[in-house]
Amino acid sequence: MILQTIVTGLSIGSIYALMAVGYSLVFSVLNFSNFAHGAVITLGAYVAWAVMTQYLHLPFLPALIVSMLGAGIIAFIVERVAYSTLRHRRAPSLYLMISAMGVSIALQNVLYATIGANLYALPPIFTQDSIQFGTAVISRMDIFAFVFSIIAIALLTVVLNYTKVGTAIRAASHDSEMVSVLGVNLDVLVAVLFLLAGSLGGMAGVFMGVKYMVYPSMGWITNKAYIGAVIGGLGSLPGAIVGGILLGLLEAIVSVSVVGGVHLSTFRDVFSFGILALLLIFRPTGLFGRYVEEKL
Amino acid sequence: MKHLVRLVLIAVLLSSVLAACTPPAATAQTIKIGHLVALTGGNATWGQSEANALTMIVDKINSEGGVNGKKIEVITYDSRADKLEAVNVVKRMVEQDKVVAIIGPGQSGVANAVREVNNSAKVPMIGTTPTNPTVTVQDDGKPVPYTFRVCFIDPFQGTVAAQFALADLGAKKAGILYDVGDEYSQYLAKYFVEAFEKGGGTITANEAFRSGELDFRAQLGKIKDSNPDVVFVPTMNKDAALAAKQARDLGITATLMGGDGWGSPDIFELSGGAINGGYFVNIAALEDPTIQDFIKEYQTKYNAEPVLPNPLMAYDAMIWLADALKRTNGEGGEKLAKALEDTKDLQVLTGKLTMDPATHNPLNKPAVIQQAKDGKFVYVKTFVTQ
Repeated sequence: MILQTIVTGLSIGSIYALMAVGYSLVFSVLNFSNFAHGAVITLGAYVAWAVMTQYLHLPFLPALIVSMLGAGIIAFIVERVAYSTLRHRRAPSLYLMISAMGVSIALQNVLYATIGANLYALPPIFTQDSIQFGTAVISRMDIFAFVFSIIAIALLTVVLNYTKVGTAIRAASHDSEMVSVLGVNLDVLVAVLFLLAGSLGGMAGVFMGVKYMVYPSMGWITNKAYIGAVIGGLGSLPGAIVGGILLGLLEAIVSVSVVGGVHLSTFRDVFSFGILALLLIFRPTGLFGRYVEEKL
Repeated sequence: MKHLVRLVLIAVLLSSVLAACTPPAATAQTIKIGHLVALTGGNATWGQSEANALTMIVDKINSEGGVNGKKIEVITYDSRADKLEAVNVVKRMVEQDKVVAIIGPGQSGVANAVREVNNSAKVPMIGTTPTNPTVTVQDDGKPVPYTFRVCFIDPFQGTVAAQFALADLGAKKAGILYDVGDEYSQYLAKYFVEAFEKGGGTITANEAFRSGELDFRAQLGKIKDSNPDVVFVPTMNKDAALAAKQARDLGITATLMGGDGWGSPDIFELSGGAINGGYFVNIAALEDPTIQDFIKEYQTKYNAEPVLPNPLMAYDAMIWLADALKRTNGEGGEKLAKALEDTKDLQVLTGKLTMDPATHNPLNKPAVIQQAKDGKFVYVKTFVTQ
């Protein structure tokens, strides 16, 4: 029972982590919460749906790569259309965040208007999905998603630490103005940043599509990932991973708890969002955060 | 130049606003009826089928001379089963289109959300499949003056599900997984629990999730540990499909059961087949002998099977509404509501319709039990309200 709860929590948490990394990556350099990330994740899942079930009928791995690329490009376009002008005008972070919310609503409604709000299932990767593990049952898809998330995040860490672009991104997260004074083209840097964040989001979207289903409002779940990013400390990559996994575990434990005869499963979101509120009041930097100023 | 562009833009905007304000030219020869239906979204399979059936019956009534010589004109709006969207379009129906009555919606939450709009405008509304009792009965026990329905209600549906589980499946223990953010799901779970315990059964786990959640494995794990004979999942197709998939992944072998929210054929694909073997209560089944002519006509016209029960309910609602409009000679408002209320033994597609004026619910509606089997819904048996 306890083992099963932990397994479930880890599997939800790893998807939260993958999404939370996207939030933190953008936040670390541009210092705003990119609330359009949920819409990018949703579109990534739709790309997979299109190439797996409607056209081409690609198998899973090529479809995953196409979706990651697609979501990366969409994130890049979103940046060009919605943020770059504001960025060049040195608008306050608040404006960027509001613009992001607008993009998120717009993209979701584009989906409603074009593809419609129907539910779709992505073909499963494994026919026999569950494995017995002691007293718990683990789904192969979860292990697969977990391993892939770790590989993706590890690759990202390598890019950030051992490449020129990565060094520039890390430098920019300390002081983007200084970096551009030193001759780094900030526009290119930001483009790479959104491509990276978008493709990780696309990956999360495809995993969600296979595990659950694909529909226009599936980006709602990124609210949880965002809480994960805040728990870990916005702008910190290890923080996003730890925060996402912690939140997944916490939710799973809350879901099965009974306090004084009251089943807490109905209060799950009260806990998640309550933690967000408490953290913002008492420890706005989260577990690993560096910034103390504006958290938007 | 810039100013000119701006002026033109403003002029275009203004004219479109004005155009939206002028009511469309109303011909005295037609009676306008609004149709509030989910044409897209999770409930779209039912909604599209419902719109098709409504077109069929309206064409039939019009070709037979309409209502006392006046033709019926249906104005359809997509609600997406979204409460906010529904309030907007119902406002439009009563204020701009000036409909005399509204058919729909199919969801209890939507019907409750728009109640204030259609009731304050005195436009009668006939819900097709909103089964929650509060849709037509207020907290003080009085009927909602301008809201009616043609389907059965959840206490009956919950009772039928519980009795079937106890008597036909021989279940003693039941686990429940419901959506705490949805009136339909919450009440159906409550009525199932009441009837199941009254019949001598035990509820071993009663777990909830919130609308929009995708992962129920934590709750299902708890249900699994309580080792029930049946797991009742009173939700719409999306959540039921996810729950079925995850329950089977966790190795839950208990029989799954649900309500009329399950009856959409896409549930097989969405659940990856995990829904097979489950039983659910529905308002009608394709095998019902009284509706065979309708099904044939529908198949010929649309080259598809109707997705029950919504098409049948919209069909019945229209026959009922046309009959009441004949009696009021096309007049709406209070007179129409009274005429709808006074309906007795009216022959509709699925049987005889009699209204209970105290609750605005139809009397003696049957319920069928269906089983999801090999990608198809199979008729099991029929229950009738006592």
